[in-house]
Amino acid sequence: MARKRSRLDIITDMLASIQDKGGEIKPTHLMYKSNLSHDQMKSYLDELVNKELIDKIKKSSYDYIIITDKGHSFLQKLREMQEFEKTFGI
Amino acid sequence: MFELVYGPAWFYGKDIAMDAIGILILFLIGIFSLRCYKINPSKKTYLWLALSFFMISLSFLFKILTNFRIYYDVDVTSRIAGRLYSYELVKYTDILFYIGTLAHRILMLLGLYALYSIYHEHTKSEAFLSAYLLVIIAIFTQSNYYLFHITSFLLVALIAWKYFQNYRKNRSQPAKLLASSFGIITLSHFLFCFIIFSQELYVAAEIIQLVGFLLLLITFIRVLKDGKKKKPA
Repeated sequence: MARKRSRLDIITDMLASIQDKGGEIKPTHLMYKSNLSHDQMKSYLDELVNKELIDKIKKSSYDYIIITDKGHSFLQKLREMQEFEKTFGI
Repeated sequence: MFELVYGPAWFYGKDIAMDAIGILILFLIGIFSLRCYKINPSKKTYLWLALSFFMISLSFLFKILTNFRIYYDVDVTSRIAGRLYSYELVKYTDILFYIGTLAHRILMLLGLYALYSIYHEHTKSEAFLSAYLLVIIAIFTQSNYYLFHITSFLLVALIAWKYFQNYRKNRSQPAKLLASSFGIITLSHFLFCFIIFSQELYVAAEIIQLVGFLLLLITFIRVLKDGKKKKPA
């Protein structure tokens, strides 16, 4: 059975999903890609916006979520951490 | 009171440089682990990993300070060659050597034990008892240096075995490098057990240990490189 995702795992998945889509994604797509409920997603989005890791923009009357530079570098740190964990088996 | 076991005279100072490289590498990994803990404070293993690497790093620092002091004093004594003065210097060196060696051994054994405990769960009382026994070993092996090296060899070997099992599980290249680096460091600890028989064994053990540390650095660089593989769009 797969282990339950931690908060940090979810944040990594969300930021990676935005990055994979070229840096911007529609909120519903992000919800499906990150495998979150609407309420969970709202709470995570608020937190990530507050921490300036992502931003919300409007483009041709659609809402989009974009990853910031700070978000990019944080995601890189998270990936380094994941690799470190895997290597050291912690 | 205690045994002085060194390599040949031509190797004086070179071992200090080699240990200094080890200190930097261990400290670097400790800092990285501490940074990870700051990002994810719920994961205490990061803190333990940082703590163990810092303790081992500090242990080498004490070894360097002790060796440096002794090499320096031997030099001064031989140049001045005054009997009384030489005697005082040696006594002063004895105290420094005793404190430095004790700190080196206690920190090394506790650091290795902390690293070992990350992978083997202990109750608080078991951990306390083990730490106590390791301190006792460090204190009472001042006159039997090889007992300290056998204890540290066993701890490093168990850690290396754990890293090898981890490599078998996830088959990643950095995990393989990590297991190899600890395997090489284990070999160096094995050689340190026999340095009383030959001064060249001390040189060989130091060189092998350096190779192990350099491989550890390569592992760390590889971890960072693999983490950066997906570059921002």
